[in-house]
Amino acid sequence: MNDNFLRSKDIAIIAYGETKLERRSGKSPYELASQVAAELLGKTNLTPKDIDGFATTVAMSECTNPFYSNFCVDYLGLSPRWLQTTDLGGCSAAGSVARAAAAIMAGLCETVMLISADAPSTRMGQSYGGYRSEFFEPTGIQGPPGAFGLLMHRYMQEYELKFEALGKLAVAQREGAVLNPNAYEKNRVPITVEDYLTARMVSSPLRLLDSVMYCDGANGLIITSTSRAKKMRANKMVHPVAYAEITNFDCANMTPDITESGFSVVGPEALRKAGLSPKDICSFHPYDDFLIAEMLQLEQIGFCGRGEGSRFLLDTDVSCKGTLPINTGGGQISAGQPGLAGGGLNLVEGVRQLFGEAGQRQVKNSGNAMVTGIGVIPYGRNWGTSCVLILEA
Amino acid sequence: MNPIRAKTSHIPKPSALTKPFWDAAKQKKLVIQYDPDSRCYQWWPRALSVKTGKMNLEWKEVSGNGTLHSYTVTHVPAAGFEDRAPYLVGLVELDEGVRIISNLSGVTEANVKIGMPLRVTWEELTDDINLFSFEPRNMP
Repeated sequence: MNDNFLRSKDIAIIAYGETKLERRSGKSPYELASQVAAELLGKTNLTPKDIDGFATTVAMSECTNPFYSNFCVDYLGLSPRWLQTTDLGGCSAAGSVARAAAAIMAGLCETVMLISADAPSTRMGQSYGGYRSEFFEPTGIQGPPGAFGLLMHRYMQEYELKFEALGKLAVAQREGAVLNPNAYEKNRVPITVEDYLTARMVSSPLRLLDSVMYCDGANGLIITSTSRAKKMRANKMVHPVAYAEITNFDCANMTPDITESGFSVVGPEALRKAGLSPKDICSFHPYDDFLIAEMLQLEQIGFCGRGEGSRFLLDTDVSCKGTLPINTGGGQISAGQPGLAGGGLNLVEGVRQLFGEAGQRQVKNSGNAMVTGIGVIPYGRNWGTSCVLILEA
Repeated sequence: MNPIRAKTSHIPKPSALTKPFWDAAKQKKLVIQYDPDSRCYQWWPRALSVKTGKMNLEWKEVSGNGTLHSYTVTHVPAAGFEDRAPYLVGLVELDEGVRIISNLSGVTEANVKIGMPLRVTWEELTDDINLFSFEPRNMP
């Protein structure tokens, strides 16, 4: 296996686009994707004819359509030579950057439009097969909050979990959402640690402010070869320099450590590929369906040791002015989760920071950014897919 | 028929593959797939062994004993479970080395404890379907 096909910075991200997050917008993912496509084309002076690759992520609101990516490009007026839908849940957007880079380097296409769009607060279409209807749903487990409730209680059995540490992270991300005009408007008010600690219990010990809320929205990137980006005189570009992904970590183990995820593999691997250590990361954009997932990532990627997440968060300024800014635009937890397009939210924020376009929430040091994804809640284990993408200016 | 679940869509519908499990459950017996090559039990039901990739799994009755690996108290119920909330869902580790997500009965938030010994019990959802649940092993 080629150790790092992204090392030479042959791939460039030259634009990002993003809609504002709304609740019950009444829009389809195609309409939301159109808004992002128009923004991407406008920023790059490209026309639909210039786009020869298109990548998208499965949308809950349209997942009953088995020809989703075809419908997308038909709606958008694109005629791609490389087309892909990715169904890695929250890893789909970052995973699509790696897949698009591979497709470009293999010569399948030259300029990829990546768009994630979803409207789960308007329409939900998903239905799970496998074990879910027979052995999971009849127990009344409350989906992802239930699975993360199990995970949190087990973590508390093995390590010390300080809820005020998670509360501090919640407050910092909310400050980001207040400064993010694209965040869901009702969330653009500050919260306190006390608000977090006393929020309504959902699936113990997980509370309302531990969790994301479904919104409608879309986001996207233009990805091309660095040589083409230079020919186009792209005024800004960032490079994906390392990517690592694993699905179904430790899968044949029937009694796994449910507090351990694939990040213990892909975190160190991505850092090694990029030649960086955790302390070199300028801003961190971890997938945040639940606050505890961010703490586990901090530990397993190597920002701190196992079980030290609470101490690390209490000792570290994770605001946009801090030593390790985390999810500076509010993340999904405070800005809103646009369904399965949610992985793209933190990805776009990472690119925005490296472009120096984050306004009042701009981080001081924007030499690189780490973006992660989490995909799928499996049965009685940690999450399904873990991925880490490192971007450099 | 359980008055709460009768209204819901959460009545398991056995397939040809899972029929032996639900047939045993009707007799209040817990059976789990066993991989004779790796000598390991495997849960949830599949057509092949995840250790060897062979389609040679056998259904075997297990003790029904286990311990609580983790739990959550569900305050915001899943659709169809509104009348039960708040209710406990556990991740139960069977003595045979697999973990099952299950309702917990005979135990409350006040006395639930990770590591507590549990045993299987059965909830009659319909005339044909008994659903496993777990209760404290030291119950009378």
